[in-house]
Amino acid sequence: MSPSSRDVHEDVAAYALGVLDEEDHQAFERHLMSCEECQAELRELSEVPGLLDAVRQDRSNSLTGTDDDRASR
Amino acid sequence: MPVPRHLDSRLESAETDDDVLVEVLYQEFGAPLLRHVRKATGNDLQWAEDVVQETIVRAWRNAGRLHREPGLLWAWLLTVARRIVIDGRRRRGARPQEVEPADADAVSVPDGSERALEAMIVADALLDLSEEHREVIEHTYLRDRTIGEAAEILGIPPGTVKSRLYYGIRALRGILKERGVAS
Ligand SMILES: [Zn+2]
Repeated sequence: MSPSSRDVHEDVAAYALGVLDEEDHQAFERHLMSCEECQAELRELSEVPGLLDAVRQDRSNSLTGTDDDRASR
Repeated sequence: MPVPRHLDSRLESAETDDDVLVEVLYQEFGAPLLRHVRKATGNDLQWAEDVVQETIVRAWRNAGRLHREPGLLWAWLLTVARRIVIDGRRRRGARPQEVEPADADAVSVPDGSERALEAMIVADALLDLSEEHREVIEHTYLRDRTIGEAAEILGIPPGTVKSRLYYGIRALRGILKERGVAS
């Protein structure tokens, strides 16, 4: 169900951001319920997405095409 | 975290009664959740209220296996709400819509200039990350993409995206903490 050797605990960041694909999301949630380490880390990370929203909104107010800005560097 | 201590017992006693559970969830988490969600919906109040409602319903549906520990429950609610917002935004196929709510006073949102300052600090912090870390944050959360989609676009395995995201988000939080915007 999950990638064999990779550390499943690392999924906590993607979970906090809400960007895990559905299957991984379900799998991580099962893990979360029994992993106190991940529970503690999730609490720590859970305010980061809200802070990132500030950037997102700022961009949508001021910019239109952000898509290829980095490619030009 | 806006989670009161007495909640544990309230949730436990609510366990047997669905209506009571929904009510308790609303009372305890409804307002703070709405404040958070509004930041993600570009202040679209109607949309935010729908997201909160759907989030509470999902919490209720998952009540049996949900942890009763309030801090964790709060984190769970935030993640679920985020996924609903991302889904909605993708379905609309649009960037966040800037909507001025009719009743802007009804719910308090952070003062505009405070929010702008926050945006600057976060944007700066992103620039201080390594290219790899910034890239995965940019290509997932900031563009409403899942890990799988970002992996395909970036041409790297999903596991690598998740791992970089983990270290990137931790690094970002560390910087934001240093600069006083994260706790
Ligand atoms: Zn874990």
